[in-house]
Amino acid sequence: MYRSQKLSLRYYTAAIALFGVMNLFGLLSALYYLYPSLLFNVFNFNMSKIMHIDTLVIWLLMGFLGAVYWYLPKELGREVEGMWLAELVFWVFCAAVAVVAVVFLFVQYGGANQFSLWFINQGRKYVEAPRWAALGIVVVMLVFAYNVVATCIKARRMTGIMWVLVLDLIPLLAVYLDAFPATTNMSVDLYWWWWLVHMWVESTWEVLIGCVMALVLMDVVGTSRRIVEAWLYIEVMLVLGAGILGLGHHYFWIGTPQYWLSVGGFFSALEPLPLLGMVVHAIYDAGSHGMKTNNQPAFYWITAEAFGNFIGAGIWGFMMTLPQINLFSHGTQWTVSHGHFAFYGAYVCGVIAVLYVAKQQVSGVDVLTGRAWKWGFGLLNFGMIGMVMALLMAGMAQAFFERAIGGSTLMAFTSASENPWFKSGMYARMFFGVVFVSGYVVLVYDLLTAPKRVPAAQAQPVAA
Amino acid sequence: MTPAALLETASLMGLFALAGGGYGGLYSIGRLWTRPGLIQAGGACWIAAFVIALTIAVRTPLDVGWKLLILASALVYAVIPPVTWRYLERLHDQQESNQ
Repeated sequence: MYRSQKLSLRYYTAAIALFGVMNLFGLLSALYYLYPSLLFNVFNFNMSKIMHIDTLVIWLLMGFLGAVYWYLPKELGREVEGMWLAELVFWVFCAAVAVVAVVFLFVQYGGANQFSLWFINQGRKYVEAPRWAALGIVVVMLVFAYNVVATCIKARRMTGIMWVLVLDLIPLLAVYLDAFPATTNMSVDLYWWWWLVHMWVESTWEVLIGCVMALVLMDVVGTSRRIVEAWLYIEVMLVLGAGILGLGHHYFWIGTPQYWLSVGGFFSALEPLPLLGMVVHAIYDAGSHGMKTNNQPAFYWITAEAFGNFIGAGIWGFMMTLPQINLFSHGTQWTVSHGHFAFYGAYVCGVIAVLYVAKQQVSGVDVLTGRAWKWGFGLLNFGMIGMVMALLMAGMAQAFFERAIGGSTLMAFTSASENPWFKSGMYARMFFGVVFVSGYVVLVYDLLTAPKRVPAAQAQPVAA
Repeated sequence: MTPAALLETASLMGLFALAGGGYGGLYSIGRLWTRPGLIQAGGACWIAAFVIALTIAVRTPLDVGWKLLILASALVYAVIPPVTWRYLERLHDQQESNQ
């Protein structure tokens, strides 16, 4: 095993641990909707939500980094350049995440001054980490970029996937610089903030996971390089074609010019089209190898990724992407439903697939199958689908009673929060949240348990 | 937009995309397993998507531009699965002939 693959395993361990932290704070955040005075003035909802979302971003990022460190030496046939720096940065990254978490848990907020900005909370949604930690993420990404580029140069070899990955490093680094606010005008600040949230997480990450999935497909299903690369180029072109100006759907109500209503609505409405192509591709790839795979769990998680991405981002997004609908739906649990499903489909399933790829190699089995992973797969998917349906019901009730009938007043907000449709949605979300967490527990158990060894003579790829 | 029209329009749009996805999925599985029945079921899904698009155009209070966009999307949905499938087949055939 390469040294960078050992580092990759550390990243995976940290990622899966943070996945657990995210789940815990997800459950806690769900509880606030049932018991609004829970932990009042001790640990308020806003901090729980910050912990839930920020750990989501960090564990996925760690999963991606782990995946790239895993595949880089295999792809280029040599050890990753600058490993000592990458290893050092990993520990610094973990320590920084721990310190930020402790500050969020115990200090929580500070005065409206530079000290708070630098050491407690930047105060920007989804990138609340204080500025020193945000700078730390820039350093992590710089070292990551150095590792990738330097290894390519040293190897004197470039593949199509590596070209896409290297080019993606530019926006991955540049767009994150938006995490540092420099303006006091709310509209201008939000304008650029959405570049960070949409372009970084929804575009450059899409390309990154596309590269990772291309590598996983070659590994798990045995798809040829030429095919995955050709498809990767098309996907990148289509996702970016619709995705970049699809950013406009975030610009509807933040004080930007009116033309964004047309631009954002138009390009967002196109977004399901490439996702539909990906569904066709996933089915073709699965079938072209007779549904045979040497890694059953990874295969299922890749398939779940294609379908989850289409349903979560495509269908759920399309429902509320036009301005006339979005006027009522944005900021309700409807949006939360879309966010959960889209992130799960686009990224979580992909990262779990990569974890199983690593498990197979670490445990040294030719064919990875078993029973526990199926429980984890079932519970996680069932829990997520249940949660998003419950959130959709609650969100539609909010849009209907609070926004459309009530006119978005404070009184309308309060009475909609007491509406039986909303409340039952929140209870259902809690229930399915517990199902999801139980799926997480089974997933961790399965990842940590040694797989059953099949005698070499019988180690044929299994039907998925 | 009335409160009822809001939910009706959003639900129709969700169903439209779902039917489009159902078409893509069933068409592909039908081609994969050579099951004409599934391909026909996929075709029925596309018809459902087109009918939903027409319903959106006729019944909902969306602006005319959005209605045209959704109708155009329904037509584009029709070609994506067969074109993608054909492209993938050609790619795989080329790959095999190179080997």
